[in-house]
Amino acid sequence: MTAVQTHMDPAVRESTVAVERRRGGLGAALRFEVRKLRAQYRGWAVLAGAVLAPIPIVVIINGQSRPPKDTLFGRFATDNGFALTLLILGFATQWVLPLLTAIVAGDIFASEDQHGTWKTVLTRSTSRAQIFWAKTLTACGFAVLVLTLLAASTIASSLLIVGHQPLTGLSGQTIGAGTALQLVTASWATTLAPTLGFTCLAIVLSVWFRNPAVGIATPVVLGMVMVLIGGLGGIEIIRPLLLTTSFEAWHGLFTQPRFTGPLVEGLLVSAAWSVLSLGAAFAIVRRRDITGG
Amino acid sequence: MTPTLAVDATGVTKNFGPVRAVDEITVQVAAGEVYGVLGPNGAGKTTFLRMLFGLIRPDCGSIRVFDKSWDQAGVGVLDGVAGFIESPRFYPYLTGRANLEGLALLDGGTRAGLIKEVLDIVDLTDRADRKVGGYSYGMRQRLGVAASLLREPKLLVLDEPANGLDPAGIRDMRALVKRLAASGLTVLLSSHDMGEVEEICDNVTILNRGSVAFHGTIAQLRTMAPDPGYLLATTDDRRALALAEHHHGVDVSLDPDAALVVTGRRSEVSAFVAALMRADVELLGFTETQTPLEALFFMLTDDTRPTSAHRSNQAQEALR
Amino acid sequence: MRRTILIVLAALIAVIGLASVVTATTGGSSSVTRARLEKSLPVVFANTYVNQANLVGRNVTAASLHAKAMCDKHGPDVADIGPGGDWNCLMSWTDPQVPMPPEGYGKFELNVHSNDCFTASGPSKLTGFLTITDKHGKPVTNPLFEFDGCFDPHSDNAATGVYFPSLFAITSPNVTPTAQGRTTVKVNCGTGSQGCAGTVTATAGRVNLGTMPYKLKEEATGTLQLPKPVPAGAKEVTFEVKPSTGAGPTSPATIPVQPR
Repeated sequence: MTAVQTHMDPAVRESTVAVERRRGGLGAALRFEVRKLRAQYRGWAVLAGAVLAPIPIVVIINGQSRPPKDTLFGRFATDNGFALTLLILGFATQWVLPLLTAIVAGDIFASEDQHGTWKTVLTRSTSRAQIFWAKTLTACGFAVLVLTLLAASTIASSLLIVGHQPLTGLSGQTIGAGTALQLVTASWATTLAPTLGFTCLAIVLSVWFRNPAVGIATPVVLGMVMVLIGGLGGIEIIRPLLLTTSFEAWHGLFTQPRFTGPLVEGLLVSAAWSVLSLGAAFAIVRRRDITGG
Repeated sequence: MTPTLAVDATGVTKNFGPVRAVDEITVQVAAGEVYGVLGPNGAGKTTFLRMLFGLIRPDCGSIRVFDKSWDQAGVGVLDGVAGFIESPRFYPYLTGRANLEGLALLDGGTRAGLIKEVLDIVDLTDRADRKVGGYSYGMRQRLGVAASLLREPKLLVLDEPANGLDPAGIRDMRALVKRLAASGLTVLLSSHDMGEVEEICDNVTILNRGSVAFHGTIAQLRTMAPDPGYLLATTDDRRALALAEHHHGVDVSLDPDAALVVTGRRSEVSAFVAALMRADVELLGFTETQTPLEALFFMLTDDTRPTSAHRSNQAQEALR
Repeated sequence: MRRTILIVLAALIAVIGLASVVTATTGGSSSVTRARLEKSLPVVFANTYVNQANLVGRNVTAASLHAKAMCDKHGPDVADIGPGGDWNCLMSWTDPQVPMPPEGYGKFELNVHSNDCFTASGPSKLTGFLTITDKHGKPVTNPLFEFDGCFDPHSDNAATGVYFPSLFAITSPNVTPTAQGRTTVKVNCGTGSQGCAGTVTATAGRVNLGTMPYKLKEEATGTLQLPKPVPAGAKEVTFEVKPSTGAGPTSPATIPVQPR
């Protein structure tokens, strides 16, 4: 600072009446969010995990002498690659997908509190709404990316290591390898809606509690609680309303005839969870007094 | 036509639960001036500045910046404004330069070369490519100034810019603020240190417990300042005390630390010192305990004594 | 923070409470129903049966099996609705090489999950053991030993009208007369419709020990007392069942006498 130059003040032209300047829009805020995410270790760790973790899991399950029969498609998992990806999909939807998406979504708002940087970004020329949507889009984009990588890695490693024999469906019917690949890919794709639901849930928790640990852990815990409630008999009236029920909607793709009722319901339920979560989060961000940092 | 005020805040009030942090304060800053908001910690300075930046919503009152309000213009209020509140914060995992680049994105882009220019101004060019996580407090403070200059503001808001800096850092920061002010920029400076404000500000508002305790020019403030106080160390304090009894215009007492406390107008004090010399009392030390403005500031804002609120109200009324 | 946690807890309790009230008032409508299982199981079974046949080198079509099922959850006193591991399904099918037992069906045990999927295990007499030998002589997993299926929770819930009679059986491994010469045997009525009723005639050698009427609900057990004492020295007692409701063993059951 000792080297202050005399021409140092490019800023000041004249203190006139009207002051107008360019403002960064949603696109600029989005670029900054992506840049921040790319600079952080956690995002890369999640992506690397999504790509690499399925490989040892496939190898280990393939090496089992007894197939894990307790889970759907488990009984075919050791000698059918398609069944193995579906077994892993069933496992991933228990808590892995909520966790993977929450690691970024549960942190993206709370980390501004953690670093005290709300005041830094909100005293520029970008509105709270733009920052909110930039963060939300970044978290959702990351969720899509991580799901895509996890699906691609699981399908590729299962088919390469275990093989692509015809699959026995959930009506006992035989499904040819070509159709099976399409259905397996579609099944992974159907988990996108509830995964985004969990992303939005993590966002509202991140906004509400202003604490990354809460933002990351709570969606996972809530997911497990929903799985538990969904598995209970007697309270099945609320089962279709649970976010985790949508994670199982792909079952209908493997029966004969196929049924898509749960897929449509799952889409609506996921959308409702997402809209409610984002609405609450947006209201909090808009109204909040930034006193910290 | 009256010139547009840089800041026109009227009757601004903010409660946090049962606590009234800011109580109907009015602050008007003319374009081009250097304005000080003074007050002890917790007086409401920061809350007021946060409301100016839209970080906190006032409960009532209006805030207009260059004639724009949040209701009408939204974030457009900040078009000509930059600054930081409390210590500036950045993303520790990004380099200093990357932080500035990101903030420039939010600003809608900056002209080419400006990032390099502002880094030069705050002397961070060498460290710009290190992560902010490794920056010292002073470096972050300077990066905060750089981030503000990046907006090429018409109004620069600095909240305790010298806070937490070492003496050299404070000297440099003050020099920088002075230069910025001299260039015609409107500066709104908050501080708890009278000395900092006294040197560079035209007008000041002194806040105490959320309310305005004084509002006016530094010159006005000086007229109501009490006599300055000095600490004298002499070879013969008893004799000096005795001499003081015959010397009008100074008030001398013996401090528990065995130094003489002398208050009085500067001319009277120097006459008293001359009298001491004549009486062969040698002067070993002579220190100014506090400037008159500091003394006044403490008087206006001292809230440890029960009468302080009453007194500051009196002081305020006396000025009107 | 503590306040927010309390709010969340209160909200959770409210949701669970509301759900319980809704459940109590609506009677816990579940998508797992008898009719859906009765329609779904035969389809899954038939397809799996074809797979098994192909493995061992036989050629069977699913349609030729004419499989049909009757399902029941946990006896006559429990409503046939909702997930659980206590579903039993009686199923009949047509395969000339695997004739049905006299009662006309085999009993499958089902574990039905709340996600509308189930795991069924068949009667090994009819469907084989865990490992079978395929057409190349290699041991392979028997797909029929245990198999999974899922059904559409929105599928038609109209009753199928498939009924099978309950199977009456004498379950005591031996008969043991008491000191007073009284003799009892344990009997059982299996899954099916309308329970079991009829008579049992007991003979020891040429001695007629009397005829006992019985009437049992399905999935119930009972005890019958022989009208006359078992003569001394008798080695075994033969029971002849004449069912008026439900099915019974077609040939007389002979049970050894355990001397005291």
